[in-house]
Amino acid sequence: MTTRAEKGEQRYVLNMGPQHPSTHGVLRVILEMEGEYVMDPQPVLGYGHRMHEKMAECRSWPNFLPNAARMDYLAALIYNHGYVGVVERLAGIEATPRAEYIRVITSELNRLQSHLLWLGVLVLDLGAFTPIMYTFEDREKILDILEDVTGSRLTYCYMRVGGVVRDIDDKFVERTREYIKWQRSRMPMYDKLVTGNIIFRKRIEQIGEFSPDMARRYGLTGPVLRGTGIPYDIRRAEPYSVYPEFDFEIPTETSGDCMAAYLVRVREIEQSLRILEQALDKLPDGPFMAKVPKKLKLPAGDACYTVESPRGELVYHLIGDGSDTPYRMKIRVPSFSNLSLLPELCSGMLLSDLCACMGSLDLVIPEIDR
Amino acid sequence: MESKDSVIAAFKKIPVTVEEVQFAQRGYHLEITLEAGQLRAFAELLRTGNFYLSFVSGLHLATGIEVSYQFANYGFPCRLLANVGVDADNSVPTIADIFQGANWHERETKDFYGVIFRDHPNLKPLLLAEDMEDLKPLLKKEKTLKDRAGISRTEPEAQPTPAVKEDA
Repeated sequence: MTTRAEKGEQRYVLNMGPQHPSTHGVLRVILEMEGEYVMDPQPVLGYGHRMHEKMAECRSWPNFLPNAARMDYLAALIYNHGYVGVVERLAGIEATPRAEYIRVITSELNRLQSHLLWLGVLVLDLGAFTPIMYTFEDREKILDILEDVTGSRLTYCYMRVGGVVRDIDDKFVERTREYIKWQRSRMPMYDKLVTGNIIFRKRIEQIGEFSPDMARRYGLTGPVLRGTGIPYDIRRAEPYSVYPEFDFEIPTETSGDCMAAYLVRVREIEQSLRILEQALDKLPDGPFMAKVPKKLKLPAGDACYTVESPRGELVYHLIGDGSDTPYRMKIRVPSFSNLSLLPELCSGMLLSDLCACMGSLDLVIPEIDR
Repeated sequence: MESKDSVIAAFKKIPVTVEEVQFAQRGYHLEITLEAGQLRAFAELLRTGNFYLSFVSGLHLATGIEVSYQFANYGFPCRLLANVGVDADNSVPTIADIFQGANWHERETKDFYGVIFRDHPNLKPLLLAEDMEDLKPLLKKEKTLKDRAGISRTEPEAQPTPAVKEDA
């Protein structure tokens, strides 16, 4: 078969975004096309850039707490967790045991709602409208539970250095238990509706070839990495908070395609439910906030704190100089590195498959742009 | 390389200054100081040792700009932070051909600090707009600059204070 180029057809440039339903935010991708094949996709970033790292250097550390939630709007509590974690580590403060449990419980609920939204929109990107209606019904339950205790539904600012801002009560525990039961009862339905759907499988099986070597070259983390067979999860590899106290698995797949990333994420839903169950059973009594000096200064020195966000490895690197304002704060976000492999991954692929790949990476653009 | 100790042993060949730090207090295992001229050999070594690049970042000090590289390993717990002082012409060699993920991280560091990564394939603004190339937002004003000593721990690393068991 002669290629289009040999037939004298020119390559053309197609602009995808910055507003496009498949880019899940203001991301622009310049696609160099040959017919329906993408020959060179180049992401253009920065439309949502707010310079959070500069803001951290311009205000005292407590005033940065709300910023943490505004990078990844789908994992605000996990970003909260990382930020209070890095300040605690630098200042040598330990949160109370009950607070650590509450942090894990709320973080896992946050992870579940992120995975549920991803499940809905991935399938939506591929042209099926129905599943997102079901996942939103589930997700709504989590948002209602979290709203009662944190006061917000999306951009939470719930964790504080030394603990959390409000205690959880019996009603919260009861509703979360009900939710766990509900979510488990829904999974067989998703299995039939989505996982077993032949059209869906044809769209993502053997699409995208992620490999362990490519992962190392680009710093790929999260469920997509685990889809290549590497069981790397910060909750297990560099345990933080009270995660070592729970029994859970790190799901992996070996095929390294979009289907593998899909299966890993769906199986992670069950693992998060298991962590929630155990945390609710073991939840210790006691204060939800440790005694912390009213005007806490950050000592000179540096510290990192790494957490597992729904998309991969999130690192806060904080450098203090003895004042209450950070001298420097670097925030390493997972989607940034994960998206950077798009040009290598998607060259030579059909345009519709590129949408499947971007959906599998579960991109959150405000997190990349920061 | 399959353990932290073998990594430290391998670094002796370059040679770079390696300090083992307390993970509980610092959140990483090894702190490394090296010259810009050693950077590529250092990156090659980590590439053959199956490390991945976590991030590249900058730091503006009174003595000049430093570039930091964080690497970690999927196989065993070994997170390391390497600090490199830039050369007199504000540049360091690129590692984007060794770790392709460094491409964007280096462009971001160029945006924020103006550091030139020599032989980078495409050092155009990434997060900033093209007409903001001279902004260099993370450079500090002279009076707020500190030196290395001003941001280093003064006392030996202590155990974290235990939580107070009473209501705040």
